Amino acid sequence: MSEQQPSQVLGIFPSSWSEARAGRIPGHIPIWVGILSELTEFSLFFIAYFVAKYHYPEIFAQGPQGLKTSLGVANTIILLTSSYFMAKAMMYIRLDNYGRCQGYLWLVFSCGLGYLAIKTWEFYWNHQQGLSTVTNEFYTVYYYMTFNHFLHVGWASCAVLWVIFRLRAGRYSAQEHSGLEALAVYWHMIDLMWILIFPLLYVLR
Amino acid sequence: MKKRFQLEWLWVLLIAITLFNTFLGEQFSSTALVSVLVAISVMYKGIIVIDHFMELKYANKHLRWLMRWYFIIFPSLVIATIFF
Repeated sequence: MSEQQPSQVLGIFPSSWSEARAGRIPGHIPIWVGILSELTEFSLFFIAYFVAKYHYPEIFAQGPQGLKTSLGVANTIILLTSSYFMAKAMMYIRLDNYGRCQGYLWLVFSCGLGYLAIKTWEFYWNHQQGLSTVTNEFYTVYYYMTFNHFLHVGWASCAVLWVIFRLRAGRYSAQEHSGLEALAVYWHMIDLMWILIFPLLYVLR
Repeated sequence: MKKRFQLEWLWVLLIAITLFNTFLGEQFSSTALVSVLVAISVMYKGIIVIDHFMELKYANKHLRWLMRWYFIIFPSLVIATIFF
């Protein structure tokens, strides 16, 4: 059997991209491949929104008036708050304060559940008003975008539970917490997407 | 004091901007000014989250600029809709 060890560096990227020259990568590279894929997916949704708005300006001007804005605002505040809690969790793992870190991760999980509950209520309320994916072009884009985002919050909330389990198992410390940091940057990405979705669907007429 | 509670200040600022944007959307019909204000505030919110919550301010410069460009391009399209 060969005793040659596999190389730690693939050597396929320019040296200017290296962490030594470009700066540290929060989390790890695989999560950023995932994040950039998600950003590409959402960018297609945003392009679809702008193309549809160009073709149906009247429908898109009236569309937000049929939505319950207060639920959109509530979910925005919940996600911004969850990002704050996640940043605090990262702060405490760096201090080796597992109790506080875990407490903030439970708060993030609670925010995720809160978001999912409010979004479910909003979909139900829309249904009661007779709104659906085929009502008009605005609602097709609205459901396409928000249900996709709903799924992302759902599985990221499950990932928060997994990270809490790993934290309790002693897998993270001030020195090694790349898994927790990977979840943190993914969670912030989901918050960022909602920061863009909210004004497009609820605010701008 | 501000440095110590920086995350708290930023969180309050993000919520204040959200409420201000909602107020604009609810109280005023869609005007060019409302669209520009909303687009700029969305850019600013995104950059706060990217720099301070995602902690890219002192991390990999390519990732930081990629994320920042995302939050410059799409809000800019909101401004472009003024001309639709």
